[in-house]
Amino acid sequence: MRLIMKRALMASAGAMVFAMSVSAQAADKVNVAFFLEWATPNQIAKVDKTYDKAMGVGVNWTDFKTGVAMTEAMLSGDIDISYSQGLAPFVTAIQQGAPLKMVGIAVVYEANDCFVKNGSGIDASNASELEGKTVAVPLNTMADYAFRRYMAHLKVDTSTMKIVDQAPPDGAQSLTDGLVDMACIFGGASSKAAGEVGTPIMTKQQKMDAGIGSFDVISVTEKFATENPELVKTFLEVTEEANVAWKATDAQIAKVAKDAGMKVPTTKKQMADFIFPSAKEQLEQYFNKGGIAASAASSLGLVFSGDSDGSKIAKTLDGSFLK
Amino acid sequence: MVEWLSDNRAGFAAVIVLLLVAMFIWSIVLGRKQAVLTAKDEVFGDPQRTRGGWYWALSGVATLMLIWFYFSWGIGRAYFPTAANEMCQVAKLEEVVSPIKAALPIGSRYYKSTLLVARNSDQLDTVEAELPTGAFTSPEQAKLKALTSNVRSLIVNSSNPKNLSREATKKLDQIVFQLNALSMELRGGFEGFSPTAKALAQPKWGTTHVEIPILPITARGMLFDGVATKAREVATLFRKIRNHPPANVTIIADVKARIAKFKKVNASGKFDKKTDADRVAYVKAVERIFRRLDDGTIFPANSLDGVNGAIAGLDAARDHARGSLGTIEAIFFPGIGVVKSRTQCTEQGSARWLPKPMDVIATFFKLANPDIEGGGGYKGVPLLWWKWLPVADLVDFFTPDWIADLWPGEYTRHGTDGTISPNFKDRLLNFARGDLYLGSIPALDGHLWDSVFRVLVAMGLGIFLGVPLGLFMGVSRFFKSFFDPLIELYRPVPPLAWAPLILTIFGITDDGKVFLLFMVAFAIMVISARTGASGTQLSKIRASHSLGASDRQIMWNVILPNALPEILTGVRIAIGVCWGTLVAAEILAGTTGIGFIENIARTVSDYELIWVTILIMGMLGLLFDLIMRWVIDKTIPWRGKG
Repeated sequence: MRLIMKRALMASAGAMVFAMSVSAQAADKVNVAFFLEWATPNQIAKVDKTYDKAMGVGVNWTDFKTGVAMTEAMLSGDIDISYSQGLAPFVTAIQQGAPLKMVGIAVVYEANDCFVKNGSGIDASNASELEGKTVAVPLNTMADYAFRRYMAHLKVDTSTMKIVDQAPPDGAQSLTDGLVDMACIFGGASSKAAGEVGTPIMTKQQKMDAGIGSFDVISVTEKFATENPELVKTFLEVTEEANVAWKATDAQIAKVAKDAGMKVPTTKKQMADFIFPSAKEQLEQYFNKGGIAASAASSLGLVFSGDSDGSKIAKTLDGSFLK
Repeated sequence: MVEWLSDNRAGFAAVIVLLLVAMFIWSIVLGRKQAVLTAKDEVFGDPQRTRGGWYWALSGVATLMLIWFYFSWGIGRAYFPTAANEMCQVAKLEEVVSPIKAALPIGSRYYKSTLLVARNSDQLDTVEAELPTGAFTSPEQAKLKALTSNVRSLIVNSSNPKNLSREATKKLDQIVFQLNALSMELRGGFEGFSPTAKALAQPKWGTTHVEIPILPITARGMLFDGVATKAREVATLFRKIRNHPPANVTIIADVKARIAKFKKVNASGKFDKKTDADRVAYVKAVERIFRRLDDGTIFPANSLDGVNGAIAGLDAARDHARGSLGTIEAIFFPGIGVVKSRTQCTEQGSARWLPKPMDVIATFFKLANPDIEGGGGYKGVPLLWWKWLPVADLVDFFTPDWIADLWPGEYTRHGTDGTISPNFKDRLLNFARGDLYLGSIPALDGHLWDSVFRVLVAMGLGIFLGVPLGLFMGVSRFFKSFFDPLIELYRPVPPLAWAPLILTIFGITDDGKVFLLFMVAFAIMVISARTGASGTQLSKIRASHSLGASDRQIMWNVILPNALPEILTGVRIAIGVCWGTLVAAEILAGTTGIGFIENIARTVSDYELIWVTILIMGMLGLLFDLIMRWVIDKTIPWRGKG
């Protein structure tokens, strides 16, 4: 028995030493997660290897399909920095206790649209007619968040609706087939398809007036931020420079389109709606006390889980790397 | 009652674990005894050898449960309910000290300064090598070389211990002193500490969304919490120390002036586009390296030896103060232990994604609670309950609305006085739409029922259509040859390959999901019935034929009973595969169902809920399989004995 105990102890001690040696490795490579079909100016810096040169280490870019997958990869230690993770997966990850930090704002964009089927005669003025109708929503995404904000703003009771969980392409298809009365969509291609047969429930202006918008964040693991603060800083610096250098010239757009895996016109259209806030704007509007980042994160947490503690999420916002 | 059970789940786990260990030992003892009894009169390979043996099943279950309890930290929580809270306090200290450790060999093999020197020198080498000779005039090139060598001298000066300012030395000494004081405090023990009332009022470990209570609830925890708070100040002090040798101050001013001069020349606008871009990029690259060096974060290596030693001392003191906790952690908490993040303490290792059995049971009861307003169910639908189903809904389902359109006449219009008097055509439409009261019948409701319903309907259709077709294919040339290409072409297609089509053909209601499952069940049933029918011994068919049996009698009394074992095995396999496809089927336009719950739970990383759905599916699959085994035993007792 004593022998077994001793062996078990040694085995677990060995496992711990192994785990520690893994965790103590200095960064000789930085792993960054990003989205395809999500065009951003920093892709020029990505293609030109400006990041690698500026940070002095190799930068390894991996594309992801969803922000949730980014969180999972960060938790398993395979990804250090997520560029343009949605606010929704970030907040849900924080609520589950994931050791992540928001260090910057990647993209500010118009809130995802909810398309009402053309011919149903429903718009923002008589939105309460949506009660009792069927709606396609990709649950727990930024589109879900936008949907709930719209309905709250238009005073529509969502509990009376039949909410169907559908990925954006499926939602657009269901809207086309007339199976749902409204579909909430994100992504360029799906939005275009839904726009063919539907109309956004709120116009751009109405959304701005109601203060409904979304943004993607730059998140890092706490471990990486502690061990390599200068790398995080340089990453944000290069991103900032790429944003400043962005003039939307044809050459630039072609470069980004190629890297994002999109066609030039689609890229142009997508990027026209994007805003890339400067470090100064981020510090003054998003990361200040009670700024947009904290308030949006806590209201989003409230929408999804109902027991959001705003002050808790605020602790994971860290604008110090932008300075 | 449920609340009380939930709050005391650790205690129950302790009892259950003991019972499991007892069950494990007892079943093995019993099993060995039985094995001795029967060892002599059994032949290897005899099917009878596998009969019975329930005690081995018991020991198997006990092993599985104990492994689950162990790796989910269920055993650890059962017997050391405060351990995680103490580990959290230790993790707090780790979190606070980690910025210091990250700069020292004790945390990352090299001094941070060493890494910075290596990285910046490399970058300077690259920059010097990549000097665009075409963009700068030769005097400028010489100036740039001087500039980079000046930047390089910043590294040289910072690395020399002689240049370390007295102020920095003093601050480093102060940090060493404070760290040593903290070590002393840790070694002093935790007598006299007592947790605050607020800490004791926290919810217990695992009973809320936040897994581990963060305020210290033990004397040892108080000690670590206090030390962590003080260590935070030391870490802040450490982060603020800068090494600015006097020689560097003049170099920094000089480099700044030179860079500004270059920038000014660049901004003059007298260069063509390409040259301008090259010049700007080059100056920026040099400036970037310079900006990283001018903030004085590089220290002479031996100046930090003291801090490195003090941190090693602090680690030793930490291990000393942990005492028995260290051993308990190593044995009962497999993985990396507890990590403190900005907001909370979380379990790491297998406990992160493997919830404890008792927590899974608690989540199951929450899910199974039919009281939706009281927080039960999921997304407003119970797990399994019943409801009053209006008969009119069934009528609506079975009667198409266009029946009313066929009736001659017009639908009523509202009269001039604002009243409406419906005619027969209106009533017919109301009937077809189910807009009337015809009484209600009790019906099952909930996520579980919806999933089971989909599988059962698909299986029913699969058996009802697949078995006759398969039998006919086994006996008829026409059926075999006509349907063979069709069936063989579609059978190998994985069910999920149909998924993209299902939505646009069937829409978002249940029929699409049922169809997907039906495709799975149908192929298996056809193949198994066909194999069964064509496998009938010819002698049996000839015998019945010569005894005067009609075709129908041969089919019904000879071929079908002969094919039955194959058919029932087919049903057993088909049910299993249907369950396997269910999660995927419910991704399509999910509104209810077990697979739907799992899909949504994934998007919020709710591992407890994910495991509940996995276990429910496993249990139901097992239940179906047991039912099928019973049916097989009852209907074809001759199987395997021919």
